[in-house]
Amino acid sequence: MNKQDAFYITARDLADGGIEGVPSELKSQDHLIYSSPAALSFNSPGAQGFGVKRAGLAVPGSVMLLVAPACCGRNTTMLAELGSYADRFYYLLQDDTDIITGRHLNRISQAVKDVADFHEESTGTRPNVVMICITCVDALLGTDMDRVCRKASEYAGLPVLPCYMYALEREGRVPPMTAVRRTVYQLLEPREKKSTTVNLLGHFAPLNDDSEIYELLRGIGVKKINEISRCEDFDEYLGMAEANFNIILNPESRLAAEDIAKRLEIPSVELTRMYRIDKIRKQYQLFAGAIGAKIDDSKFYDEAAAKVEAFARENKGKRVAIGECMNADSFELALAMSEYGLTVTEIYGTVSAERMPYIKMLAELSPETRIYTNLEPSMLYYDSSELPCDLTIGIDAGYYHPDAPNVPWNLEVQPWGYNGLIRLIEEIEGVL
Amino acid sequence: MKGLLRVMSPFAPDQSGAASVFYDMNAITVICDAGGCTGNVCGFDEPRWQKNARPIFSAGLRDMDAILGRDDRLVDKLRLVSDKSDADFAAIIGTPVPAVIATDFKALKKMASKRCGIPVVTCECTGTNLYDKGEEMAYLELMKTFTRDMDVCEGRVGVLGATPLNFSDIEADKLIRKHYMEEGFSEVLVYGMGDGLDSVRMAASCEMNIVVSASGLAPARWLKKNYGTPYRVECPFAGEAAAKAAGVLKHSKVLIVHEQVAANSLRDAMEDCDVTVATFFTLDKNIANEGDVLVETEAQFIELVENGGYDAVICDELLRRAVKDGTYGIWINRRHFAVSGNLEEGLCEL
Repeated sequence: MNKQDAFYITARDLADGGIEGVPSELKSQDHLIYSSPAALSFNSPGAQGFGVKRAGLAVPGSVMLLVAPACCGRNTTMLAELGSYADRFYYLLQDDTDIITGRHLNRISQAVKDVADFHEESTGTRPNVVMICITCVDALLGTDMDRVCRKASEYAGLPVLPCYMYALEREGRVPPMTAVRRTVYQLLEPREKKSTTVNLLGHFAPLNDDSEIYELLRGIGVKKINEISRCEDFDEYLGMAEANFNIILNPESRLAAEDIAKRLEIPSVELTRMYRIDKIRKQYQLFAGAIGAKIDDSKFYDEAAAKVEAFARENKGKRVAIGECMNADSFELALAMSEYGLTVTEIYGTVSAERMPYIKMLAELSPETRIYTNLEPSMLYYDSSELPCDLTIGIDAGYYHPDAPNVPWNLEVQPWGYNGLIRLIEEIEGVL
Repeated sequence: MKGLLRVMSPFAPDQSGAASVFYDMNAITVICDAGGCTGNVCGFDEPRWQKNARPIFSAGLRDMDAILGRDDRLVDKLRLVSDKSDADFAAIIGTPVPAVIATDFKALKKMASKRCGIPVVTCECTGTNLYDKGEEMAYLELMKTFTRDMDVCEGRVGVLGATPLNFSDIEADKLIRKHYMEEGFSEVLVYGMGDGLDSVRMAASCEMNIVVSASGLAPARWLKKNYGTPYRVECPFAGEAAAKAAGVLKHSKVLIVHEQVAANSLRDAMEDCDVTVATFFTLDKNIANEGDVLVETEAQFIELVENGGYDAVICDELLRRAVKDGTYGIWINRRHFAVSGNLEEGLCEL
């Protein structure tokens, strides 16, 4: 291939143009999607974390039947080698005729029953639910999965739910990861509410055990904090229906929260993961106001503030490149790092209207920051020697600058709040 | 039930096989999907990708592209890339999405070649077939598009069917070259591994082709029919692998489950054993022995192993999951990347 430059735009130019002026190169629908290791989590979310298939198994005691051409289940071989998933994936493979005629639909009920019986025979436990994962094929065939699942449920005598792995609709109204977040709570049924119970929605792995949010919630009288990933069994999962309110920790759970509010009358409040210490504090204050409680976070704030101060002193001017394959919003984290005195040289991120406020603030602090997207074809020609850096955050940023110290920051257990900020700083200090 | 997998996982699909053949060809490879197939091909089925990423792209299809059949948008996007590239050609590989909407790949090929100004090949993969079908399709498409009549060059040999999916090694081409150079050939063209489009252009000049896996059979036959190039079928290294097995398996009844050419070559080298070859992939009758088995379902595989009376089973160890552990004689691991997605540490390992 010819040598050319990878496309980027500076924070200043991007902010000046506003959302209407975002160049075509930064819009994934306008070009082919380059497949590099840095873009893997876009093309295949399940390759490095929770995609639809793994997420669908968040319900305790669930198994999954993937109804798809063989290619859609190929990378699940990798998941099947993980201990906790080895006996939970089953496949009903579609052939050429199935994908044209939809005749596979006639086999699903029997397949669900076979899978449930086999699972019971081999593990001694009947599944609590069979998740049917379907793909682009059924999206195009217009399969009525609610009906298919109802029929299979009646035939097999256990709950059956659909998981929509519709990659074709990833930028649509209900993207696959949003849909699956709704699905995993659909077995909850109305229960008497307990004013001291709260659900945390949004992730398929828990927050770090020492996140301050647990202590702060207990401080306002919450006795039980539910997370689907911490539910030991199906009964505990069903107990999530007793919550007084839900806290949304990931915007992709908004639809789930709406659904729960409608069906179970549990209201929700949304919190955002941030790394700017003053914004973390402000958010806790707003949260306290919203629920009519008083939250004293000074102990945690003071600890984080001391950490930030030392970090900023030690690392002022260090050059950092920030990716998007990590547990942070690229632009919010870039803004935080700029506020702490580091020089953000590059961001590999996805520009959206929701991120424009961060981009505008970043343009004030660091106008020359280069903004790339992992997905644009010219990233084939990215040359890290053009703008070296002292640190990278995110596994994609690490891919572009293999010689710079890297903090992947993408563990499944989720960082949050002051604790997340402190952990990030400690990880950075560990590699610098 | 046909198609139901209760203990096994799906094998590498046709689009992975096609992409594997194009990988070293200085091509712009476009997988005609919404993203997930590309993720599977690159992130799982192409072990060269982590070390040496190539220009592989997803078409990034969205629902309205599929519903409205907007092939023109795909061609526009391809042109944006081809205009700035010195790739020798572009390859568009099908997936379930174009299969469902019945994309006309011939028209797409014609339209893209014209608009992009470079040769375009297409592989009408569907994601429902296995990798060897995709490899076969890619080899044939390349030969039919680029191979031209030439004088035969003595000492030049072509190798068909060498991909990491078959050999479970990203440097198998080096060993293959060494093997055939030692045999006396002066130039070894390994199509799809190490050798680019020039090797395909001059395929007709080979004095012989060697088919090292079943996906190379159809293109070898095509080259014989069109250019008279003779071929032989064998998987190198099988002898050494068999020698290792021989110490354990003297006079045994053995089942080898692998890609057919690899399994055959292993059998040929295990003269004192009673060997049955079985494969989930292509079983070509012309190179099969009586009693060899095409395995079409998981249940059939379990039945074969549990009731076949074999002293030993040689296959990728992932398949062992399908039967009750340790009940059916000796199990010997013979890696097959297209099955497990695991690489071999050394080609001669068993």
